[in-house]
Amino acid sequence: MTNRKVLRFLVWMFVIGLIAAFSAIYYVFNKPRRNIAKENAVYTLTAKQLISEFKKDENASNAKYLDKVIDVSGEIKGIRTLDNHSMVFSLEDAMEGVSCTVDSADVVTDATKISLLKSGSTARFKGRCSGMLMDIQIINSSPE
Amino acid sequence: MNKLYFSVVLCFIFMNVGAQNRYFTKDAKINFNSSTPFEDIVAESNQATTFIDIEKNELAFSVLTTSFKFRRALMEEHFNENYMESAKNKDFSKAKFSGKIISAIDWKSEKPVVVDVKGDLTMHGVTKTITLKANITPGKTKIVASAEFKVTPEDFNILIPSAVRDKIAKEVTIKVDANYTPYQQ
Repeated sequence: MTNRKVLRFLVWMFVIGLIAAFSAIYYVFNKPRRNIAKENAVYTLTAKQLISEFKKDENASNAKYLDKVIDVSGEIKGIRTLDNHSMVFSLEDAMEGVSCTVDSADVVTDATKISLLKSGSTARFKGRCSGMLMDIQIINSSPE
Repeated sequence: MNKLYFSVVLCFIFMNVGAQNRYFTKDAKINFNSSTPFEDIVAESNQATTFIDIEKNELAFSVLTTSFKFRRALMEEHFNENYMESAKNKDFSKAKFSGKIISAIDWKSEKPVVVDVKGDLTMHGVTKTITLKANITPGKTKIVASAEFKVTPEDFNILIPSAVRDKIAKEVTIKVDANYTPYQQ
């Protein structure tokens, strides 16, 4: 009798352990994407500050900003829509400024805010910094 | 290599003489596929910057590795953290190509042509010379270019643990699509 109880207990423990392990693997494997719009900005600064920091020391700026959510503001110098319907807003300089990309889904969600953005106006974007090519790229961004 | 790349870019920026000979786009599309029967691994970036100089027949590409989007968030994380090591330094955070069109091309024809391009591909801090075929449709106000080529991760010192090696293709197929417009200073 006792032996059977112990065995039953062990079987149950094994089954529960198995379920827990599989759900953990499943969760990690299908980990949800970060929702940048809901995260708080780690740094809030002007596009000009960000540009000067990156131009001075790209490695140090990458260490500080890469993959972090930042809130950046500046004058819009260019607006373009990509083939996949996402939009890119260039702050301070069309070639070497800060490029904030708003994903196509967020272009729909933030349509009212986006319709107010014009070349020459000042805007604020919150997004994830992906580094510098000629411009500094802020992806998954949304207008503030 | 890095210096060479920057001097190429700087040449494009500063040597603005006379006729329109440079075209660019900041929205070129690069996607790669390393799928196997075990796993679909496809990623895409729409944010590659590229220049083409029709006088010198030179072209240059660069893309941030963190701008690639995958089907699963976990793949994106592994790609950047374990394989490309994007955060390591500025040479690891981007992939670059700078090359020359080595076969004949008539930029005035406006007819699609297949050309041979030879150049240096740098990623994960390693530079390799590669030759590839590209489709180019010249035009005065627009140049359309595309290319497809294969690379082996191990050539670029990208080490994939043996436990998952079979889940990732031995050779990764890279596709590039760019619509260039004239570059005005």
